Amino acid sequence: MSTFTELPIDLGDDGRASLKDGPDPWAYETKELHPIEDTPEKLAKLLERDGQVRRVDFDPVTRVAGALAFHTVVDLESRQVLETDSMATLFRGYEIILKGRDPRDAIFISSRACGVCGGVHATTSALALEMAFGIQPPPMGTVARNLLLSLEYLYDHPLHLFLLAGPDFSEPAVRSTNPELWSKAQDTPAAGKAKHGFNTVAEIMTGMTPLTGSLYAEALHMTRVAREAYVLIGGKYPHPQTVVPGGISATIDASDMNEIMLRIGKFFDYGQKVVAIWDDIVEFFYEANPQYRHIGTRPKNLIETGQWDDPYAYDGTYANVDSWARQRWSTPGVIVEGKLVTTAMTAVNMGLEEFVEHSFYEEWTGNGKGPRGAQFPEDPLGNPLSPYHPWNKDTIPKPGSTSWKEKYSWSTAPRWDRKAMETGPFSRMWVTALSPPNDKTKFIEPTGHSLRMNVPGGALPKATVEWHVPEIWGAFERNRARANAILYTALIAYDNLLMGLDMMRKGETAVSTSYKVPKDFRMGAGFWGAGRGSLTHHLTMDDGVLENYQILTPSTWMASPKDPWGNPGPYEEAVLATPLLENFEKPEDFKGIDVLRTIRSFDPCMPCTTHIHTDDRVITREVITCACGVDDGSDHNHAHA
Amino acid sequence: MATTSQDPKRLQTVPNAGDVFGDETPLGLGNLGGSTDGPLEVVHVFWVAGMSCDGCSVAVTGATNPSVEELLAGTIPGLPRAVLHHPVLSVSAGAGFMKSFHAAARGELGAPYVLVIEGSIPDDQAFPSDSGYYSAMGAGGFDPISEGDQPNRMTDWVLKLAPGAAATVAIGTCATWGGIPAAAGNVTGSMSLTDFLGQDYRSALGVPIVNIPGCAPVGDNFTEVVAGLLMFLQGLGPLPEFDELGRPSWQFKETVHRHCVRAGYYEEGTFAEMPGDQECLVDVGCWGPVVQCNITERGAINHMGGCMVAGGACIGCTMPGFPDKFAPFYKAPPGSFVSGSISRTTGAGIRRLRRMSQANMNRTPLWDRTGHVPTPFAKQMSQPSRVSRIEGFFYKKLQYNGSADLDKVNKTQPNPKTMDFLGRGSHQELERYTPGAPGEGAHVEETT
Repeated sequence: MSTFTELPIDLGDDGRASLKDGPDPWAYETKELHPIEDTPEKLAKLLERDGQVRRVDFDPVTRVAGALAFHTVVDLESRQVLETDSMATLFRGYEIILKGRDPRDAIFISSRACGVCGGVHATTSALALEMAFGIQPPPMGTVARNLLLSLEYLYDHPLHLFLLAGPDFSEPAVRSTNPELWSKAQDTPAAGKAKHGFNTVAEIMTGMTPLTGSLYAEALHMTRVAREAYVLIGGKYPHPQTVVPGGISATIDASDMNEIMLRIGKFFDYGQKVVAIWDDIVEFFYEANPQYRHIGTRPKNLIETGQWDDPYAYDGTYANVDSWARQRWSTPGVIVEGKLVTTAMTAVNMGLEEFVEHSFYEEWTGNGKGPRGAQFPEDPLGNPLSPYHPWNKDTIPKPGSTSWKEKYSWSTAPRWDRKAMETGPFSRMWVTALSPPNDKTKFIEPTGHSLRMNVPGGALPKATVEWHVPEIWGAFERNRARANAILYTALIAYDNLLMGLDMMRKGETAVSTSYKVPKDFRMGAGFWGAGRGSLTHHLTMDDGVLENYQILTPSTWMASPKDPWGNPGPYEEAVLATPLLENFEKPEDFKGIDVLRTIRSFDPCMPCTTHIHTDDRVITREVITCACGVDDGSDHNHAHA
Repeated sequence: MATTSQDPKRLQTVPNAGDVFGDETPLGLGNLGGSTDGPLEVVHVFWVAGMSCDGCSVAVTGATNPSVEELLAGTIPGLPRAVLHHPVLSVSAGAGFMKSFHAAARGELGAPYVLVIEGSIPDDQAFPSDSGYYSAMGAGGFDPISEGDQPNRMTDWVLKLAPGAAATVAIGTCATWGGIPAAAGNVTGSMSLTDFLGQDYRSALGVPIVNIPGCAPVGDNFTEVVAGLLMFLQGLGPLPEFDELGRPSWQFKETVHRHCVRAGYYEEGTFAEMPGDQECLVDVGCWGPVVQCNITERGAINHMGGCMVAGGACIGCTMPGFPDKFAPFYKAPPGSFVSGSISRTTGAGIRRLRRMSQANMNRTPLWDRTGHVPTPFAKQMSQPSRVSRIEGFFYKKLQYNGSADLDKVNKTQPNPKTMDFLGRGSHQELERYTPGAPGEGAHVEETT
């Protein structure tokens, strides 16, 4: 399979790319959408169905970070989802706040785009600045960043598995939506008892009960254990105080390493336990009804920028990005229909585009000199760049009323090779599993179809835990993969900790490098990750200040609205494909648990999905609000016409 | 025009979408506590996020004094149980989640509530009718709640809920002062809660807005104040003390520099030249000496970490001037030129005197007597310099002046008889432990 099938890029075997000939190679045709409620003939037919076809709206979708609303039309008789629209509904205008600032400020400002995964923005920003400044951290600086990344994940994954997604599998949720499964769970012995101590699957479900469940409480505690280690070198969380261009501003001594090591070590036992918990949950549902494999299913299209830099390979340059990125613990790559189509970071970068046909923005192309008005027709190595690439993107907000036919979200529609991609802990593990091993780790072996993780013993005996690339990709497998990602992350953290101790022994203790902010034109990009998937920052700067700053977050990839060709974003796509297995009699009783399990399996995190856009007015969802008390100074007074 | 389910142009909705956990169970099921001794058994907490990153919520989940789960489960003796309505943590979604908000807005909640605001307040109320919002939660208006699509703006919720709240707490620098959304380039008209509600606002119990700043704040600073307010509501304690900007005064009265683990370096005039150095961070951009914050004393989480404790320079994130008055970050504050120069000059002298005293304190009275430090680690300090001995002599004179002269006593103490026992060879052969090769285990053999 050639790397790009939809983009007009020929990629040679030497990794050099060229633009295909043609008068307007980047041109595309848009397809009109025909949502049900905007299509009278469709609507009339469905309205005849005596209330069996319903709008099912979730506003807000709770137990996700930030402002996400989700609109669906559901046929409750045939148990099919007919229509989905994913809406990002908060806008703060970070981009204009970053533009024109000292580039050094980008680390602390962009961190605050997201308070769930702020630390990763800080590091991604530092990577982008290093590329722009032409600097690189000393090895110990990179080790410290790798530890921060790992510790952030070790807080983030338990938070998602037991505080956000977990309650949907808890006793009260199962009893309320599928009581027949609750009876079955009481009679189903838990296969992983030796690891987690629960006798039956029902006991696990009780443990997952919000607030009062032991697994809920334990997860909350473990998020703190990871954050305690984080703040030893990060200063604080979620917005760390120690990430600087050219390294880290942490004074790391033997006590820090000791206290971090003890906390990482706790995640070996805990990770084994969590894998056993989710294996039991997932297998129980599959056994009860094989259709559960298809909850939240979508094509195996995943993107991964790679993360955890090799401290001796990372040099911060775009020229060498393919080689140093291949030396990461998690290597870059793109999976299309289950096949790994590239492992080159330049190709991952080249394939990026963002579209705004169904988002509250205007098309921005036309201002530059390249094809379709692109400002930068090529990347710094001469590879073609789409006019829709983040380095070329300009944010021109165009507020308007929400219309499923036209525009309905503040998220853009990112695509790679014009395909919707998902990303997450699973994309790191999946790409690594399919890639050739790079001998980075003592503990993890990729096999081409799985990852074998050799977990050191703690209170639990040492064990080899194997995560298999799933045959059918859906919501339950996302959660199972995230459970495995606790071990995957803890082992990479341990690798880095041991490497850091060795550096201390060798006296390689410098953590930062000196630099001057350049005054000429520079481009930079940071390729890194958040708990919920790949994260990139693209910047341009001139005259010592930022010209443009673009953040592409994992949840922007996945909360994406439809693209110009009418193809849904990953949340939309997965909910559309979801069978509705909830047990309900009347439409009034329908709660939408399968839809919610699907959305939450992606671990949505909306704050940074909608951070960067600028505007003075948002008008959404055929807004008919109120004449409020501003004019007369009186108290608030709603008058619905 | 508000629309309803009877509209022939719209599909009917499902009334219980997202209400997986049933009515009246916003969080937590069964076995929950809550004191029955005071006037309150339950207090609701409505958490409303505006122009926010959710970082304050995340910080609060890290708190341990008390923890959120202690507040929510009602396990703190004497305190009522807190029932939290929070978009990230609540179990029910959509309409199921919004029910209690509407009940509170209508004054039908049947229990007192605390309103917590995270994130800046956008200028949404300035929009003319039917023209939109920057931040919203839920849809369908307020009275009556319709099935329409119009969003309920975050500012609508603030105006609905603030007057009836027992207390209103702004958490984080966005809600307390405006923060980054209100920084230079602010296009959303973002402002603090205090700027929005104005000077005259008082809660139902007559309390002005409580401000707990920080980006993100120390989680304990928030939960501690909530616990304090609950104590007050329960009649168990006084109203916590707040400063002129509504900050808990015991948390924010000191500068972060005063309790900084690196402040001693400042005093001795030694400064970090590079990020990662162990000394005072003023020259790499630390604003700690003028910033009110307790993170160096309290730590970031569970009394661990803290910005300068780890090595990060203070950027003033608790202060009303954040971020613009502290930018560009990583540049030494101009004021530090004067104070830093003074500290370098005086610090140089103080530092030398202290090192001499320290060298003296690093010797036992016995070692003073023998003039020998019997450890191979300590060759370089086995012979104190003449200056150090003279300094030590006068130091001890001053120290013991007017009191028991322990130095004198020590000088007359006899030396122990078995000093340098091994060195004198007057002992029996000892068994020496030898580590074995890997896999063989260790063993003990006779020395020869």
